[in-house]
Amino acid sequence: MSRLSEIAVRVEGPTRVGGLGGGVQAVLSELVGMLEALASHGQCATIDLRSLPMSPHDRIELQSALGDGEVQANLTADGVSTLRETALCGVWWVEHRDHEGKLIAELIEVSTIPAILAASLIDVAASARTLRERLSVGRNGSERTDHATRN
Amino acid sequence: MPPATDDLAVGEMLRRHGVSRRGFIKYCTSVASAMALPPWMGPAMAQQLHGALRPSVIYLSFQECTGCFESFTRSFAPTMENLIFNVISLDYDDTLMAAAGDAAESALAKAMHDNFGKYVLIIDGSVPTGAGGGYCTAGGKSAVDTLREAAKGSAAIICVGTCSSFGGIPFADPNPTDAWPVSAIVSGKPIINVSGCPPIPEVITGTMLQFVTTGKVPDLDEHLRPKAFFGTTIHDRCYRRPFYDQGKFAKTFDDEGARNGWCLYELGCKGPTTYNACATTKWNGGTSFPIESGHGCIGCSEPGFWDKGSLYAPLSAPDWGKAGESSPRQVMEIAAAGIGAGAVLGVVSAGSGRLRQYRSEHPLDTEPEDI
Repeated sequence: MSRLSEIAVRVEGPTRVGGLGGGVQAVLSELVGMLEALASHGQCATIDLRSLPMSPHDRIELQSALGDGEVQANLTADGVSTLRETALCGVWWVEHRDHEGKLIAELIEVSTIPAILAASLIDVAASARTLRERLSVGRNGSERTDHATRN
Repeated sequence: MPPATDDLAVGEMLRRHGVSRRGFIKYCTSVASAMALPPWMGPAMAQQLHGALRPSVIYLSFQECTGCFESFTRSFAPTMENLIFNVISLDYDDTLMAAAGDAAESALAKAMHDNFGKYVLIIDGSVPTGAGGGYCTAGGKSAVDTLREAAKGSAAIICVGTCSSFGGIPFADPNPTDAWPVSAIVSGKPIINVSGCPPIPEVITGTMLQFVTTGKVPDLDEHLRPKAFFGTTIHDRCYRRPFYDQGKFAKTFDDEGARNGWCLYELGCKGPTTYNACATTKWNGGTSFPIESGHGCIGCSEPGFWDKGSLYAPLSAPDWGKAGESSPRQVMEIAAAGIGAGAVLGVVSAGSGRLRQYRSEHPLDTEPEDI
């Protein structure tokens, strides 16, 4: 045995019940309560996956348990974020990445639509102002051109 | 004429740098995640910071190895450059600043004068008091005098690293420079200890950001550490915890248990008594932490960790921790930490006899009437 790759490493997971790890089961149970709260009171909730002591295997198992849904949105702001609805309607798997593609936050959001996707009304008002100014500049520019042509 | 950048709110500053509102929410979400704060804090933080002015920050380094600052520079979320360019106004840091000599000292004096009562003071390193403070001087002033002066006008003091928080390595036996933690020198100011040798980069920047965002001292534990990062033990959050519960322990660093990733308790892991965020926030941008690399926790974020015994002796060893617990220095340290906690809560107690004795032997207090 002369190379590092020749040293056998085997990582055992904790004892599993019903085919799922305890951590995964706990997250799924929490999601049941969150979905019920969303359905009955419109209450949104978020689980920060990085705060949970999950192994890479647990994470894959959780992703597999939640499955893939119909909607996927990409947000391009300081790096790409992926917001993917799982097979459970209202459960979104959110990954935020930085400019280098590094994962900086990973969340499960329980909501009808992730809040970050909705446009802010302040920004909507700013858009209206910007567009109005652009149209105004365009009109003034046309008037100036007409005036120059007549002279 | 547009306002000077120092007068701009954080949101406007970011907008000028082309950062959208969604980008800012995303940034705050990642910071909240890195800080192990509740997920709803990200959007709340974004809303709060958007309209806030950038606070003045003064960073002073005393008896230290610069490891804490090296750690600070490696923060991924928020990055140090994002923090110092967009969120805070770093007015003095002798490691980073281009100025030197009188120009640097003038910058410090100006920052303290212009922002009196409002600046955040960050201290890195313990404070040597032996030889009249002569073991650590800059610009003709001892560290202890500089600390006393800078502390007067600060809104709060953040101690970065175990040295400024608890004395650290310089404070360990035989403590040849008579070094002390900041909380033993300064009273009457809120003190936040971000311990660790070094602290996790994101814990340093996260604590700064949390204070800047809320303007309040966060919830602290009995050692004045933010509970958001120091609220649980390494053991509580360790991915090897199930093996501890099953009684599966590595006996040596190269046995089958070690190769199977079993619990390192019997190899001296101090995870069960160490409060820090290593197991969740991790290091190097969330890559891993020492236990994932096969080495037990050495308990570097705990007071007196260096004097408690072998780093490889299990917590259950008969002599482990005895030296640290009975050390007069540690007793003093705990008493001194109590002063800081009292100051934070505004309920400074009469103080212990031991502390009074210490203070009478070390007349360093800026406000002795507070004891």
